[in-house]
Amino acid sequence: MSTNTSIPGSAAGFAAQRFFKTWGTLLGFVFLVLLFSALRPDAFAQLRNFRNLIEQVATLAIASAGVGMVMVTGDFDLSVGAVASLAGVIVASLLVAGIGIPAAIAITLLVGAGIGAVNGLIIAHAGVSPFIGTLAAMTSYTGLALFVTRGTTIFGMPAAFRWFGQGSVGPIPVPVIVMVGVIGITWILLDFTTFGRRLYAIGGNRQAAYLAGINTQRARFLAYVYSGVTASISGIVLTSRLFSAHPQAAAPFMLNAAAAVFLGMTAFRDGQANVFGTLLGVLIMGVLSNGLNIVGVDTYIQSVLTGAILVLAVLLSGLSQRSR
Amino acid sequence: MTKIVRMWLVAAIVLLLVAPLVSAGGAGERVEDQVDIAVVTPYMASATTAQVINQFQEYAEAKGWRVRVSDTAGDFGMLVSRIQDVAAQQVDAIVLGMGDPQQMSAGLSAAGEAGVPVFGLDAGFTEGVYLNVTSDNSDLGRQAADALAESIDGSGPVVLFTHDPHPGVRARAEGAREALGEYPDIEIIREIHIEVPGPVDFARSVTEDLLTSFSAEGSIAGIWAGWDEPAYGATQAIERAEREEIRVVGVDGTDFAREEIDTGTIFAATIMQDFDGMAQLLAELIDEYLAGNEPESRVYQIPGSVYR
Repeated sequence: MSTNTSIPGSAAGFAAQRFFKTWGTLLGFVFLVLLFSALRPDAFAQLRNFRNLIEQVATLAIASAGVGMVMVTGDFDLSVGAVASLAGVIVASLLVAGIGIPAAIAITLLVGAGIGAVNGLIIAHAGVSPFIGTLAAMTSYTGLALFVTRGTTIFGMPAAFRWFGQGSVGPIPVPVIVMVGVIGITWILLDFTTFGRRLYAIGGNRQAAYLAGINTQRARFLAYVYSGVTASISGIVLTSRLFSAHPQAAAPFMLNAAAAVFLGMTAFRDGQANVFGTLLGVLIMGVLSNGLNIVGVDTYIQSVLTGAILVLAVLLSGLSQRSR
Repeated sequence: MTKIVRMWLVAAIVLLLVAPLVSAGGAGERVEDQVDIAVVTPYMASATTAQVINQFQEYAEAKGWRVRVSDTAGDFGMLVSRIQDVAAQQVDAIVLGMGDPQQMSAGLSAAGEAGVPVFGLDAGFTEGVYLNVTSDNSDLGRQAADALAESIDGSGPVVLFTHDPHPGVRARAEGAREALGEYPDIEIIREIHIEVPGPVDFARSVTEDLLTSFSAEGSIAGIWAGWDEPAYGATQAIERAEREEIRVVGVDGTDFAREEIDTGTIFAATIMQDFDGMAQLLAELIDEYLAGNEPESRVYQIPGSVYR
């Protein structure tokens, strides 16, 4: 509920600013797609490439959905990559040990929920800073994954497990179906339930939410549990996609998921984490990586450009806020 | 409520800390006059580093030595601190498990001042390192390139997957460029830096993009990867895209690479590093040093062999 205290411009100018603020990031995404399509219409603008692209970003999008839910409350989860890697190691170890696929997945999801609960306990109930709490958790979970594997890559899982990361239902890859499911559930939880409204209230003003009678500790705790579960789902799908598990396979998720959520905060619901904004953030990062690879830009330069575009998006968002 | 949860958490963490310390305390206790070896590495998360260190540990413990392994997970600043710590503890020898010693000169100086020798296990050789046992990385790269050239009948466009920050992988890529340069019908069309951690996923995604970019049959004949993990990711992308004509080679001879080579056709070859030979030779050389004997050389290069 913001108040407009600056001198109002023309109605048309104000409407344009408002439009840009809400849809600017989406327009940026469309611009990138058009740019790469123009540069390599034979390769980028092909249905097969879009299928590849969405499949490539699916695991990150799944993990980012949970991180986004935590960030709605104003908290942070740095442990997402470590939890996804550990989940991959657990499911692979169980499968190699001869446990059935449904049981291995169920156990891994339970462990993920347990890890999320530990994070929630440390941060929401014990009052440890989210940054320190999840940084410490990340270190411990990485160590645990390294300990379980002794640093080696686990392989030799049953062939049927490939389906989760490499199979498809009709023309749609299974990871994309899982991603749509997780995004859909996250959207329903955040936008259509009391729980979601409470999370947004906590993110808006934690003290006010508490005074309004919201059990802030429980809501934040549950957000971390959800993040643990989505990180585990992401780790399971990634392990199936790679058909191997490495103790640091999902380590890049830590920064990429946070970047996607931050990028998403500049879209649709300005300044607030939101599920479609997060998905858009993931897609922007995916299109950048995919498009720059196809165009043939050096990998080091790709990192420079990705960082610059992130800063640009946030700067533009801030500019439109200040110019109101 | 917060206070109670904090107290419970403190109790749980103390228990978590005490249990492994108590169990490790007895096992790690040094017997009087026992040779004390400290292994420090920044790369224990790498399958091959873990393999060579574990093998060295077995040979060293068979000699009755006490071996402590410390991993700094890619943190070279912490690695220097660990070297300084074990030098101050006057261990009998420090073993550097991979990593570029030029990035840890302060630690090497501390070891030198403390009179503790530093042995390289597949690391580099520089001032402050007593000797280094390693693979000939340039030769590994050349052998992999030759295996790739053979698998594509000596012609076609080739992509290199590199990682220059690692001196060993950089030397392999240099060897590969030299070797591929000798095939007039092979052209290197792209060199792509593979990011770590997560090289399998990264290589898989990059290969998917490459196959989109070079969609015509024959527009990519082969992929040379500086180590097995990106080669594995590339193989999966090629299988998925049904571009069965493309061949991939890696280096290291890891278990998963050999299985892929045995069961498929895309992953054509990997170069086996003789980690067991390296680990055994280093244990023997340390034994010689402790007996007061001078080594014949300061750099021992163990050849690799092709697995196809």
